[in-house]
Amino acid sequence: MNIDALDLDALTELFNIGLHRAASSLSELAGQRIIVDLPQLWVTPIEEMHGRLERIMVGELATVHQIFKGRMTGDAVLVLEYDSATRLADLLTQGGVALDGRLDQSAREVLAEVGNVILSSCLSVFGDMLKVSVTFSVPRMHVESLEGLLRSLVIEQGDVRIALLAATRFRLTEQEVAGYLIIGLGLTSLTLINGALEARARE
Amino acid sequence: MKARPDVPSIGAAASPLLQELGDVLELGVLTLDRSLVVRGCNRWLAMAIGVADTELIGRSIFDIFDGLAGSPAEQAFRRALNGVTTVWSQQFHGFLLPLPAPPGHESFERMQQSARIAPVMREGEVDGVLALVQDVTERVAREQALRRALQAAEVASQAKSDFLAAMSHELRTPLGAIVGYMELLLGDMVGALEPLQRSYLGRVRAAARHLITIIEEILSFSRLEAGKQPIYLEDADAAELARDAKELFEPQATEKGLALVLDLPSTVVPLRTDKTKLRQILINLLGNAVKFTDTGRVSLELNAVNDRVVFRVRDTGSGITATDAARIFDPFTQVDQSLKRVKGGTGLGLPVSQRLSRLLEGDLTVDSVVGEGTTFTLSLPVVISARSGALPESPRATPIAGAPAGS
Repeated sequence: MNIDALDLDALTELFNIGLHRAASSLSELAGQRIIVDLPQLWVTPIEEMHGRLERIMVGELATVHQIFKGRMTGDAVLVLEYDSATRLADLLTQGGVALDGRLDQSAREVLAEVGNVILSSCLSVFGDMLKVSVTFSVPRMHVESLEGLLRSLVIEQGDVRIALLAATRFRLTEQEVAGYLIIGLGLTSLTLINGALEARARE
Repeated sequence: MKARPDVPSIGAAASPLLQELGDVLELGVLTLDRSLVVRGCNRWLAMAIGVADTELIGRSIFDIFDGLAGSPAEQAFRRALNGVTTVWSQQFHGFLLPLPAPPGHESFERMQQSARIAPVMREGEVDGVLALVQDVTERVAREQALRRALQAAEVASQAKSDFLAAMSHELRTPLGAIVGYMELLLGDMVGALEPLQRSYLGRVRAAARHLITIIEEILSFSRLEAGKQPIYLEDADAAELARDAKELFEPQATEKGLALVLDLPSTVVPLRTDKTKLRQILINLLGNAVKFTDTGRVSLELNAVNDRVVFRVRDTGSGITATDAARIFDPFTQVDQSLKRVKGGTGLGLPVSQRLSRLLEGDLTVDSVVGEGTTFTLSLPVVISARSGALPESPRATPIAGAPAGS
């Protein structure tokens, strides 16, 4: 299939449903109203990711990877710039972590859970739509460079590697923190998604 | 391998190696079947539960732990049965399993834990649940102690700033009266003075004025530290502010034989900012340059670059090393302490200037070469964004942050 054939509006809608679920879970966890919305979505070959991302992701990145398996396989990653990550952890825990402005162990655990909630929510929506079960690995939290992040994406070998790149925005206590979701998958999985989207559109 | 009921194991199907590994881990390993019945647990967890010799295996998790039914922990176990892995951070949950607090941490009702709850897969199907539980009580206790220490330090710092602000204000008021009466005496308002009297009174007035300058610096610094510096926005011409600042130091520069040079664009350079604070920064920078330059020149350049206005104050003074440049904006620091004695000053001028520049959403940086001179670069936005708060209506000037002026 051709990437251009993907229905971006339908994909955006799926992400929005997933992020809405994630926001509900996060609000419950943190005891405060949290909105996670999706300003923009791109679909791009992995090889073109670096050029696209190097302008918007600067310096060290805090990432949460979660590999998913089933009929749909790939690597989902929540990406935050380092400062955004400390700010988000600080806001979510109301000053409970990142006391010295660094991602201490507690802050990393908080972000791992946040990443887990968001990635699982989004991937579950895809799984529900495809009517297939998707299983998730234990999330890994890293501080890495953009190059390191792109190198570490786990996608099926021998397949054309595609990324769904979603810009996100966490809004809480009148503040905003920008982040990104990258769902790296093979063309096989993407074709599956596209087929399900088309079937959904025909219903 | 079959698990013996009196020795907890991580699971009946676990290999001997896995079994040994589980027993040396400093974290809890718990495996449950699809009915949430304990299939196995490692030595660490059995000891933490305190029932090492009892039969955990084969018992429902809800029988072992009161209050687990209906809790978020049960939801996490059930999510795992649907193939979903859950990260469990102490910050949001406190603990996964209601285990007693470890010795020495009795102030916690329960052992504080972070955990991972994951599905156990067998032949592509979810066969059970694996929970890894880590005791983070010690770390949480350390973080709580650190937070208390930070809060205490912040309270102390605030008290210091408040004290400095109040004391400086109290000192400045009588000094104003002293200088005022000196002016009256030196102006022959109460009769003609003898030359020696005039000379002595002139020295007293100079000393009092110097003292006022020092107190003003401390007052500015303490207000900035206490977050009590309001911003008043006005439309301004950066070139005009630069010319005004230069004029102030012309007499001093001429007296020292220094060339004081302005390099400005030929047009008006409009900006919207707090004029008083910008003027204070320029006066600090030019004043320092003239004070610490013995020969050569001091220049003030102005450039408009995109949406920024950039001022540069260059001098041909002795320059400073990179190490000194790195701490030049630290309060109460004067690079060469011997200069402090000769030239005077509190060492607060540059820290105040940098804090003011940040208040104006700009930045102040320094470049210096020993033996050649120093350049201070002040970069400000053409329009301040008012991110600090709402903009009350005012036809002339618009305060956007902090307490009212004069507080």
